[in-house]
Order: sequence, then structure tokens, then C-alpha cells
Amino acid sequence: MAMRHVSDPNALPAHLELQRTQLSLGADAPTHTATVEYAGAYAAHDLDNSFSLARFRRDFRVALHHLDEELIVFDLVGIDCAIANAFRRILLAEVPTMAIEKVFILNNTSMLQDEVLAHRLGLLPIRADPRKFHSRAPDEDANEENVISFRLKVECSRQKPDTGKGSNDMVNDRVTSAMLQWIPQGDQQDRFSAQPIRPVHDDILIAKLRPGQEIELEAWCEKGIGKTHAKWSPVCTASYRLLPAITFASTPRAHEKAAGGWADDEAAPRRPTARLFDLAEGERPTPLVTRPRGCSMCLVRPYPNWADKVKLGKIRDHFIFSVETTGALPPEVLFQEAVKVLMQKASDIASLLKDVAAGQATAAP
Amino acid sequence: MEFDDEDDEEINQEDCWALITAYFEEKGLVRQQLDSFDEFIMTQMQEIVDEAPQLELVPNQQHNPTQQANSERVYAISFGQIYLSKPTWVEPDGETTAMFPNEARLRNLTYAAPIYMDITRITKTTDADGVEETEEESIPKVFLGQVPIMLRSTYCMLADSSDKELSDLGECPYDQGGYFVINGSEKVLIAQEKMTNNAVYVFAKKQPSKYSHVAELRSSLDNSRPASSMFMRLLNAGQVKHVNGQTMHCTVPYIRSEVPVVVIFRALGFVSDRDILEHIVCDFSDPQLMEKVRPSLEEARDIQTKSVALDYIGKRGPTQGVTQAKRIEYAKQCLQKEMLPHVGIKEFCETKKAYFLGYMVHKLLMSAMGGRRPDDRDHYAQKRLDLAGPLLGQLFRQLFRKLSKDVQKFAQKKLDLGQDFSAIEAVKQKTISSGLKYALATGNWGQQKSAPGSVRAGVSQVLNRLTFASTLSHLRRLNTPIGREGKLAKPRQLHNTHWGMVCPAETPEGQAVGLVKNLALMAYISVGSAQEPVLEFLEEWSVENLEEIQPSAIPASTKIFVNGAWVGIHHDPDDLVKTLRSLRRSEDISAEVSVVRDIQAKELRIYCDPGRCCRPIFIVEDQKLKIRKSHIRKLNDQEDEFSWSHCLANGLVEYIDTEEEETVMIAMNLSDLRPDNYMYRYTHCEIHPSMILGICASIIPFPDHNQSPRNTYQSAMGKQAMGVYITNYQLRMDTLAHVLYYPQKPLGITRSMKYLHFRELPSGINATVAIACYSGYNQEDSVLMNQSSIDRGFFRSVFYRSYRDEERKMFSRTGVAQSEHFERPNRETVNGMRNCSYDKLDEDGLVPPGTRISGDDIIIGKTAPIDTQAEDRLDASQARYQRRDSSTPLRSSEAGYVDQVLLTTNGEGRKFVKVRVRSVRIPQIGDKFASRHGQKGTIGITYRQEDMPFSCEGISPDIVVNPHAIPSRMTIGHLVECLLSKVSSLTGDEGDATPFTSVTVDEISRLLQNFGYQKRGFEVMYNGHTGRRMDAAIFLGPTYYQRLKHMVDDKIHSRARGPVTLLTRQPMEGRARDGGLRFGEMERDCMISHGVAAILKERLMDASDAFRVHVCDLCGMIAIANLNKGTFECRGCRNKTKISQIFIPYACKLLFQELMAMQIAPRMMT
Repeated sequence: MAMRHVSDPNALPAHLELQRTQLSLGADAPTHTATVEYAGAYAAHDLDNSFSLARFRRDFRVALHHLDEELIVFDLVGIDCAIANAFRRILLAEVPTMAIEKVFILNNTSMLQDEVLAHRLGLLPIRADPRKFHSRAPDEDANEENVISFRLKVECSRQKPDTGKGSNDMVNDRVTSAMLQWIPQGDQQDRFSAQPIRPVHDDILIAKLRPGQEIELEAWCEKGIGKTHAKWSPVCTASYRLLPAITFASTPRAHEKAAGGWADDEAAPRRPTARLFDLAEGERPTPLVTRPRGCSMCLVRPYPNWADKVKLGKIRDHFIFSVETTGALPPEVLFQEAVKVLMQKASDIASLLKDVAAGQATAAP
Repeated sequence: MEFDDEDDEEINQEDCWALITAYFEEKGLVRQQLDSFDEFIMTQMQEIVDEAPQLELVPNQQHNPTQQANSERVYAISFGQIYLSKPTWVEPDGETTAMFPNEARLRNLTYAAPIYMDITRITKTTDADGVEETEEESIPKVFLGQVPIMLRSTYCMLADSSDKELSDLGECPYDQGGYFVINGSEKVLIAQEKMTNNAVYVFAKKQPSKYSHVAELRSSLDNSRPASSMFMRLLNAGQVKHVNGQTMHCTVPYIRSEVPVVVIFRALGFVSDRDILEHIVCDFSDPQLMEKVRPSLEEARDIQTKSVALDYIGKRGPTQGVTQAKRIEYAKQCLQKEMLPHVGIKEFCETKKAYFLGYMVHKLLMSAMGGRRPDDRDHYAQKRLDLAGPLLGQLFRQLFRKLSKDVQKFAQKKLDLGQDFSAIEAVKQKTISSGLKYALATGNWGQQKSAPGSVRAGVSQVLNRLTFASTLSHLRRLNTPIGREGKLAKPRQLHNTHWGMVCPAETPEGQAVGLVKNLALMAYISVGSAQEPVLEFLEEWSVENLEEIQPSAIPASTKIFVNGAWVGIHHDPDDLVKTLRSLRRSEDISAEVSVVRDIQAKELRIYCDPGRCCRPIFIVEDQKLKIRKSHIRKLNDQEDEFSWSHCLANGLVEYIDTEEEETVMIAMNLSDLRPDNYMYRYTHCEIHPSMILGICASIIPFPDHNQSPRNTYQSAMGKQAMGVYITNYQLRMDTLAHVLYYPQKPLGITRSMKYLHFRELPSGINATVAIACYSGYNQEDSVLMNQSSIDRGFFRSVFYRSYRDEERKMFSRTGVAQSEHFERPNRETVNGMRNCSYDKLDEDGLVPPGTRISGDDIIIGKTAPIDTQAEDRLDASQARYQRRDSSTPLRSSEAGYVDQVLLTTNGEGRKFVKVRVRSVRIPQIGDKFASRHGQKGTIGITYRQEDMPFSCEGISPDIVVNPHAIPSRMTIGHLVECLLSKVSSLTGDEGDATPFTSVTVDEISRLLQNFGYQKRGFEVMYNGHTGRRMDAAIFLGPTYYQRLKHMVDDKIHSRARGPVTLLTRQPMEGRARDGGLRFGEMERDCMISHGVAAILKERLMDASDAFRVHVCDLCGMIAIANLNKGTFECRGCRNKTKISQIFIPYACKLLFQELMAMQIAPRMMT
């Protein structure tokens, strides 16, 4: 006899179902944060809690909310937090990009020490598709497949002999990322003719110079991942939060509002956007969630009188995911790349396991 | 200046800050140093020369029969005007150039200015006829020597330079001077605290004791001469035979035993009991007090005349067996010249002295009867601070005395030989130059020879350049020269009178706690003003002289003291005080004169001596501040010249010293000055209570929310934080320097930071800090740090170390001068070369800038000559060597790049080199960090961003500290700072974290809530490892963190094998020498109690200094062993067979041999 699955409608009593699908926000901290993973957790209720791919396929949902050049916000519903977190972690640390790794300083008479200058250069986001490059092995020679070369030659001087106090008569006193000049190697010129390689932003200040000071250097970009150094991280940040679930325990009566029983205006935040729920105006005031996707925890406490009438929770498998790119790749591509990395990891594991099963296990690479 | 007072508004709190700004704009933070030094240069130096007596020289020629003594010549030398030029410097090649401080720092020179003096030579010739002829020859501007000049003082090259000029000279515009440059190193003179002179203190003696009370007085005519102490003791009843009751005895200088007080009165010429009583009790209406004097009168009943009394004193003098007349004369001189010198040392001061003595007796007896409280030794009014000026004055006086003595000796010698002398030759330039330089360089103050006990150590210290605040704090440091071991807690405790003068938080921990203090921000140290104007004024205002009054008039009137000396009495003190104060407020007399009216004691004390602690406060009249809004407007107006000194001269604010402070009523806040306040007698008002703090404590946000020791800890830690310690650091060659990559000004600032330039030269970063338990790697004051942040430059710093060397002159045994050379040593010809890389040296023997160098690489190649003729060069293999290596390697534990190389000549004209090496310090596990609340911790682990917790906005912390760091330490300020900074990061403003203001946590919370955050700063966060929500809300926000100079890379150390000491063959000590780790007594105890003797033996002997010896079995002494031939022998026992080989520590063998040298035979019986 097939057991009913926990996720079937009305399978669990309401209070347990709430606990299973939501975490609740107490007065000062969240509770029930852990996911129930064990397949037999609800065996006492004669319910099956095992994972099923079919159910996952049926329930899993992605909804896009916002997309521009830098930021993507989308919902990821029906997925375990471990997987969602894996995507986040991979985005931060394992999706490769190109960043300046080797700096050959030919001349640096600025006030900035060579190390500081090199470090600053390394952090510049470079607009170059990392998928078109290989990462360079420690003793591998540089070639057009693994290195992008930039050149920076700036000399500061006075435009005219002193024009008087205060006026800025200097040329090149600000060294910015726009001054980095791409030197195509090999066939790079042709390969990237559609989108020439350059720093993502042109207005990043690298150094300040005074007349007579100069910087001349060559910088090599290499492919790497955020795990090695944060400069290779493709995202400004990638994070998620859970969808709030707001339920009202009771409906207020008119006189309660009049008596200030519900909305305690003085204690409530002034900015309307900061409010998560409110009372709709009308004959019989009804509580209304003004921003269903807004963050919640911070806003529970300002309404002392609401505390026992509103129940705040978070839906456990509904992630509001946001990815902000540094500019090397568009944000939506980044997420796809992250999925690919995870898939690669999974298939690596699978093949390793296969090897083990075949009795040929070798040391993992 | 006239102001329409009627309709002018009251000022508000914000306006107070305008005044404070005006104060610091005019004064800066090291004014006390500069003022004091200027006083020394401008007046004191000349005074010291003027007080030196004329040198009289009488030729003591050998009798020469051929020469007839037809005329007699007497010479005299007198010293005149002193001249000082700007600092100059004579190159060894003879060229004189102006010297600038940074050149002095770089080339290890002394920043000093030459002084010149007019000398007059007087020749008096008396010819055979007895006709006198005087001839005066004045020699202008004789070079006396060099006086080190304090930076930014009036005579400094940098005085009145604009910021642009300063940067052109390689100076930092934020540096305020106040220190000296001696042999290239910056030296500060630490202010020395001492007890004030010329004040009578009465203390109750702890019983049981011979005495019940003691009155003390340290009398000195002027502050330069050593004070003569006087003790007047009230003996307990029964201590003197045949007298019933308590008698009083008193010390007299140079008199061996104590003298009964009445005897001194009689010796001064006040013989009758009535006369004496009049000087003590003044009127006879107090029978109780009279009764107290009776036993003393009874004790002295045998000594009834002046001469008997003088004889009594003279008998107890140092010389015995002289005639009575001489004894009396000696006693007279003693009383006139040595006793109570501040009252007068001329003739006919007896009346004054008797009155003063009577005053002392009165005070002593009143204390004994309980009529007044015993004095408080730790009251800050009783303290004076010796700053650079008086300290240099003391030294200069000693040196000038020595100089004039030397001149006399030199001239006398020449004259005795019948030669003429030249005054220019007689003046030895070295005396003053090297004397001052020695004291400033070593900190040993005072001449070594004169009195061994008088030398004070640590007066001059090397200026701390770790962080800008530590430099400033160092320039405002005070030291109390009491033995650090002293168990007494009292002098170390914070005293009420320290309010506004001394920082309540900033003091070191440990042995010097409370003895080393720091000036509060607005404290001002008086430089001293002449007392003559005050005395003239008093005369004008009909103060009655002591000589002219009846003793009976005293109780009804007020006694007037000037600098501790009783000058007279006055009948209308109210009026007098009012006038004095108004004169001071209009600067008709100096603003730093203090007027203390003690109504209870009926005394008016006026002080104008140097070294008093003062502070400015608002003047209040009729419940209203004298300062009005119009004044503030003028202060804020850039065009207007109205400044702090105008406020002072207009009587809006005044300096109040610690003693006067006790006689005024000060309102704490402006708001206390309401007309309806029950307290309506305010005379003054605080400018701002946060001015009680010193430099380091002013950096703490919300110190008024912290447990007080935490502020003390932070005050000590702020000095170890790294930031930008000075803006010209690239132009300096400091031995050690740390510079933070990306310093930030804090989000939570205090108003005082503006004056410390903390926002321009900050020493920390606004880190996003979470207070959470996360992964367990932040227990026990360790913290988690975000590795991704570190990758992006979080708390990176540059470390500089400078090495220096010079080409020294060597003398071979034959006396030929040879010099060392900077060069690349050649292994073929140079002896003693190290086993490391010399390849990085250029032809000139120096590493070029930009070279990467690592541990033990040679950075300065230098060779020294070897004496090729020396006889001890026995070894033929040594013959090929011509020179010896004397190079400088990089420290073995460090690595980096050569940043800069300076090659120049030093003061002696020798080739001189400084090499600065730079390395980057990236935060790593074990490095130390601290917030501004005494919360320090080391990195326990670094996590990349994906492992850190993140908030719903995706924010992950830079630092995670453990919540257990908070409750027991009660650093609420830490939390409030975080909350305020969170608001500031949202508003984009700086948050005001000044103490003693009306900012409240609720107010900050409300602001935060308006931005849509949880009002107390909590955030729900997700675990970075699992992705789950965390079970607790996390307190998250920006907090200003500091990186401290303690880093693992400077401390990490291990050793398996390594160098041993020459003498004992035990491992070396210390990391720098690759030493061993000590297995100490306590570790030894552990091993013993574990019963693991073999391990103990291994640690203590095998791993240390095991040594093989051969011992004769018969006698137990060390035998001769020739291991090559396999022969063993004990010559004493003629034993060649019974020999044992044993292992003992080399130190043990050494001991046995030393014992044998002392005729003790330790026998090792096997």
C-alpha cells in the first residue's frame, strides 16, 4: 500500500503543516529553522516524507521579478535550502572570471607603493567573457588563450606654468581605469572584435599623481575563481531571503482601531514603505498586507499592540534570490553558470561513485 | 570692545564648540611644551647668566726675584647679554648652513641653535703709587655652544610657516612640534610632577609615634634653587622630660638636632613670652590655643635671651669646638640665610620670619586641636609641573656654573704662569652643547658628578610615532617621580581635583598606574609671571606691611600671601579680590595669576609661579554667561580677528587653577544657569564636560556608557593602533613604522576628534561587525574575519623598518687611521663573510631600491680593515684576507622590498647610510584587532564571504565577535557606537558620539527604525554554510575597529637546533637570535609530578648542553683524554686504566672548573 506523502493536501494536522512549511518569527528570534529531511519523520502519522523527483518537478517554480544589466531578482520555489545555498556559494566562489593577476611595474614614482598599486589593479572588474579563456596552470606559458594583457602608461605634468593658487592645472593627476589599454595578443583582436576587452567601469580611481610622477606597467589578467581570491568573484553579492507569510489571528473591530488598539501610530515607523501591513480604510477595517514580499522581522516589534494579533512566518522553500554582477557577465548568465558548476560537481561525484562501485576508485583529483 | 548686552542672546551648546575650536586654533595641543620652552629661551636663560657672579682673578705668580713687582693687576670677567640665532649647522668641511628639522632627522644631526654671549674683561691695575686704573674690554658675541631647539617654538625654523611651506620642507602640517631632534631621534621632555614650594602642610602622624602632628614646608626663594625643607613637629605628651603636655620642635637647616620652637623665636629676637605668644595666637582671646603653647614656653624657660638662644642653636651646628662668638654668628647666618629663604634672606627679616613661624605654629596647633582638617598631600593644588622650560633651566644653570668655573680655572692657570689669557679661548663650547645633548639623548637629567641621587632617569623619551594620537598623547604626558615599587595607593588614585586637568581614563596599567598621567584637552600649565606687578598693586591698595602692624590686628583682617610668602594684611578683602579679578580679566595683570580667597582661614593667596595646572571656564555673572551670541558670531566670522585671546582679554572666560577652583561655583551645563534654579550662586560655568578627557580617551565614542577600566584599556590600546602616523612618513626613515592601506574616519565621531586631526589621520576602519557565536572559532576573545574582505584590502598595512650604518674610523695598533668602507665584499679577500646572499648588493655596497629581499640577505655591505701587521695572524690560511666583513643582514624573520636608500654624511662627516625596507602585512590568523572600547581580540579563523552569515540584504560581516565579550565587561558604548554607526551609514553623516551630550539610545533607535530596520540593530541572518536561517537575531552594524601592532609574523618562532651561548653552550635566548624555548621551573615541576624523569633529562640536558668528560675513577677529577690515540690518563693518580666516560651538562663542567680555581675539589665518583 502506498503511503500518502506529507505534501499532499490536508495530510498533516494544520499546526504541524505550518511547522513543516514555515518557520515562525518569535518576539526576538526565528524558531523552527531546521528542515525536516528524514524520510520517516512523519511515519507516526503514516505519512511519507521522502524526496521524489516527480513531485519536485511538479512543484518547482522559478519566477523572474527584476532584471537589468547588474541585478536579477527571482523566486526559486520548491527547493531545499541546501540547494539554494549551494547556488549562492558557487556564485560567490566558484564561477570563474578574469582579473588582473600579474603586474609588471616598469616605473612607478607615485606615492602608492608597488604592492598597493598591484592590489588595486587586481580588484578592477574586467569585461571579458571568462568562458572564452582557459585558466593558466602554475608553470604554463602565457598565451592568447589564458592571458589578457593591459598596459598603463601615465605621466602627470603641469599644463601651463603655475596659473595661480587653487586652480587645477595638472594633466593626468587622476589615474583611472579608463587609462588601462588593452593589448590584444594573438588572435584576440579578432575573437573579441564584437566586444573589445576593457575594464567594466571607466571611472575607477587607481592612483593620484603629482606633476613629475609617472606610472608605467603591464598587467596580465588570468582566469580564476573567488575561492582563490575575492577579486575573481563574479558577483557583488548573491544572496536570498525567504518569502514572508503573514497571517492575522483575528480581525479587529472598529472601536478597537478607534481606541488605538491595533495600529499604534506613534510607535509605527514614519515611512510608509517601511510598513509591512496596515489597516485598510473603510467601514470595517480589515488588516491588509501592504508589501507581501517585504522583509518582516524588523517590523514586528514597533507595533506593540499587534504582536499577538499577527503571526509572522517565512515559507521554507520559497527563496527570493538576488544576484548582482560585477559586470563581467550578465547576472542571468551568472546563475546559469552556477547551475552548470553544480551539475558538473554532481556528475563528478556520480562518476566517482561509479568508479568506486566498479572497484577502480582512484584518488579524487 | 562694546557689546549691546541687553538684547543679546544667550549662547547654546553648539556655540561652546565654536569657542573650543577657537581655543585649539590658537593653542594647538602642545602649547604647554612650546610656551615653556619659549619662556626658557626668552627670559630664563638670560636670568641664569645674570645671576652668575662676576669672576674675580688675582694672579698668584711665582716669586721671581729678577722682576720687580711695581704694579699689581687684578682681573675680572663678567657675563653679559646672550644672543641666540636660528638653528644652523657647520658641515665638517667648514660650511655653515641653516638647518631644517627633517635634515636633522635624516642625517642623525642635532637640531640646535648656537648661542653667543657678550663677555667683559676688566683689568684693574694698581701701580706702585697706589693709583688705580680700570680698563674694560668687552668681547662681543663669544660662541657659548649649541642649544637644542624645540620644533615649532619661536626660534625654530618652522615657526609661523604656512602649511605649504611646511610640506615643501618635508614636514607634516599636522605635526605640532613640541619635541627636540637629538642625533636624529625625536625626544620629548616629559613633564615632571612635584610638590609645590612655600606652602605649609600639616599632617597628623600615624600613631603610635613620637609625634602627633607635623607641619612641613619646602621653602625656596625662586624655583631654580633646591628647596630647603623645614619640619615643625608637635611631640606627644611625655616625650620631653619635666614638661607636662605637648611641645613643638622644629628643624633648622644645617643644625643637627631639632630645636624647640620658642628657642627660634628668641633667637630671632622675640624674647618675652608675650611677644612670642602674640606672633602665634595674635590675640589672647582663645585660652585653649594659649594653653597649647604653654608646654613649649615651659620647655624653653632656661633660654631666656637672644644670645643664649643663638648659642643653643650654634652648639648644634656642624662645626664643634669653636668660640662662642663664632657659634652665635653661625647661628645668626643660619637663621638669616637658610631658614625660610622665601620670606627673605637679607638682613632685618626677623619680624617677617617670626610672623611666618608663628603662622606655622598656629596652623600646626589648630590642626592638633581639630580646628582645621589636616592637609591633603594628593590635592592637585599642591602639585607643580616641571615642563621643558624649567627642566632645561635647571640643566642650563648647572652647566653654566660649570662653564664659568672652567673659565675661572683656565684664566687662573694662565695668569699663574704669568701669561695673558683670552676670554674666547677660556670658554669651552663643549660644556653646554654636549651637556644639554647628553641629557636630552639619554634622559638622565642633572649632572652626574654633582649629586648622584639628583639624577632623574627617563625625563627625555623617544617620541612615540606609532600612531598620530600616540604622538600627541606622548607630548602631553606627566610623570610623578615616585618609586614604582611604592605600595602606597594614595598618590596613584584619581583625585577630585584632577577634574579638567588630568585625564581620568588615560594611565598605564601595572606598576606605573596613576603615576604616569596625561593632560586633559584644555588643561593649561602656567609658565610663570613676575610677582612684582602684583606686589606693587597690593601696595597701592593699602595692604599693610607686617613690620607696621600690631599683632592684635591680624585676627580681624585677612592675611595676604603671594607665592606662599606672607606679605601683609588687608581689612577689606572683598573689594581687593574683586579688583584683582577684574584686573586679571582685563589682562592688566597676567591671566594666569590665581587669586584664592579662603574665607574660613581669612587668607588671600595669590600665585603667579610656573607649573600650576589651570583650565579655562566661562565667567558667569548674575546667572548669565558673560559670553554672548555676538561674541560667537565674531568668532565664527573668518574676517574678524576676534579669537580666543580676545575672549580672555574681554573677561568672557578665564583660567582657573586647581586651588582657585575650590573657591568658585561652577555650573556643569549651560542649562544649569536658569534663573529659577535653586542654585543661584554660580560664578563660572564649564565650557564642555567632555574636555576633562585626554587625547586617547577623546577618541572613544560614548565613553560615558562604558565601565571605567575599559576606557583606560582603550586609552592604552589606541596607542598601538596603526593608521597614518604622520603625513610625511615617506620622507622619514623611522626605525619602525606601520601604515594602514585604507584608513577611514569613524562613523561615530566625538567632537574632540576635530582638534586631534583624527579624521585626517585616522587609525582604523569601519568594519561591519556581527556579535554572534558562529562556528566556535571566536571563543575567548578571538574573532572571525572575512577572508574576502581581506582580499579586497581590509586592514592591510605596510610595515617599514630602517637599517642604518656608517663608515667608522678605525685605528690600527700602529696608530694609522683606517676607515671602514661600504662595498661589495669579495669572498677571496674578505674574512668572516656570512653564509648568505651578497648578490643583491650594488657596486657601492648597498641594495638598490625595489629589490626583493628575504631573511638574512645582506642589505648593507661593509668591510673593516684588519691589521695586517698583527702578530696573532698565525694561521697562514688567513694571509690572503685583507679586510674583515662587517655587513648588515636583513632580520632573519622578515622579508620585503627595499623602499628607499639614503646615503649621506653624518655630523662627523662620515659616510652614513639608511636603508628602509618595506613589506605588506595582510591580516591572518593570530593578528590582533580591537574596537574602541577596550575589546581586543585576535583572529581565530578567516572565512570567505560564502561561509559568513548573511542578512536578508545579502550583507555579510567583516568581523564576528563573540557575545560573551560583552556582559562581564559592560562596554555598552560599543553597542551604542554600532547602533549609531548603522544610522550614520544610512544617513551618510557622521554620528555624534561625544560624551556628556543629550544623545540617547532611544533617539538613535527611532532613526534606525525610520530606515526600515529593527530599531535595536538586530537582523535575521542566514547561516553561510547550511543556508538556513539562524535561530537568533544577530546584532549587526558598522563598528570602528583598529588593527594593533601585534602580529603573529613578528612573534612566530620555533627551533629544533640552533646557536648556543659561548659561555655555557646552552641555547640562545630570544627569537631574534633563533633561540630556544625555555623549559622553566614550572614546566620542570610538571614533569617531576608526572614522574617522567627521562623526558626531563632529555629537555634539560640532551637537548641543551650535554658534554662528555672523562673522569678518573680513583680521584673523581677530570682526566686527560686523547680520543685520537685512545689514551686516557689521570696524572695525579698515575692512573691510565681506571677512567670512566660520563655525560654532564656543560654548565656543570664549567661550575666544577670554577670551583677548582677556588681550591675546592668537586669529585665525580663513578
